[in-house]
Amino acid sequence: MAPSRQSHSSDGHPASSHGEADTFDALYRDNIDLMYRYASRLCGETEAAKDLVQETFLNAYRGFKNFRGDAQISTWLYTIASRACLRMRRRRKGAPERELSLDEFIPTSDGEFRLQIPVEGLNPEDALQNKQLREALDTAIGKLPKKYKMALVLRDMEGLSAKEVGAIMGLSERAVKSRLHRARLFVRRELSARGLAEDTASHQGKSIT
Amino acid sequence: MVKRAVTKRRRRPESTSHRHEAGRCLHILRELSAFIDDELSNNICGEIRRHLGACPRCEEFVASLRQTVSLCRRSPAPVLSPDDRARMREKILAAARAR
Repeated sequence: MAPSRQSHSSDGHPASSHGEADTFDALYRDNIDLMYRYASRLCGETEAAKDLVQETFLNAYRGFKNFRGDAQISTWLYTIASRACLRMRRRRKGAPERELSLDEFIPTSDGEFRLQIPVEGLNPEDALQNKQLREALDTAIGKLPKKYKMALVLRDMEGLSAKEVGAIMGLSERAVKSRLHRARLFVRRELSARGLAEDTASHQGKSIT
Repeated sequence: MVKRAVTKRRRRPESTSHRHEAGRCLHILRELSAFIDDELSNNICGEIRRHLGACPRCEEFVASLRQTVSLCRRSPAPVLSPDDRARMREKILAAARAR
């Protein structure tokens, strides 16, 4: 029962089921960690992330013959995952996709200019040891409308270039940068006094002291 | 020593509180990601630096935006356990064969 290492079966027909399974295994092994990381960052919780990863690889398995090799495999998988994510979330809850306008990010009160949890003098790794900060960051990213979240996750967390993100999301580089900018401003505001105060208020029945 | 103690105290610009000139600050705000990503021409960069130099509040704002971006960049991601990895592979292959 050892799996065949060849992509041709003994009767000469290409793409035997063993060959397909081997191709899939290589694809899965090389990219599962990358896709799970991306899915976790998009979904914010484990079960949804696992669903998204499964959906992604299932679609990749079925569509592998259509993969033309003109993009990197990882870019192709990111694209499949992003589309699957948009579909899944839409099915799950019909949260309206909101546009973010720059005007809403102009600070109007004192506490909004800096981050509420002081990170100055700390490198990001040390700052992220602070549980409250880590949770606030995750919550802030989780609140982003999907198309903004995708741009932020792909660019600032997955480390792709604006051009690559554009290819994945079907956008011009310019549009990617515009979304990314709004997404960053949104997260920044959520981590400012205003964002955290609003969060506390909504959790504790508006009893801020 | 005395001098040091004086400079250590942070001056708070409360009386001369920064008043955002809506047009100008919106203009600067629009460019801040490109500014911190180093994508702007020298001219525009210089213009923004001058504005920031004159405006402590906006300086704080940019610092906090930079911090936000580096937090995102360094934020740890959860890792799948080997068991989960194997379980998911089985599920995907089963689903693929089912069709």
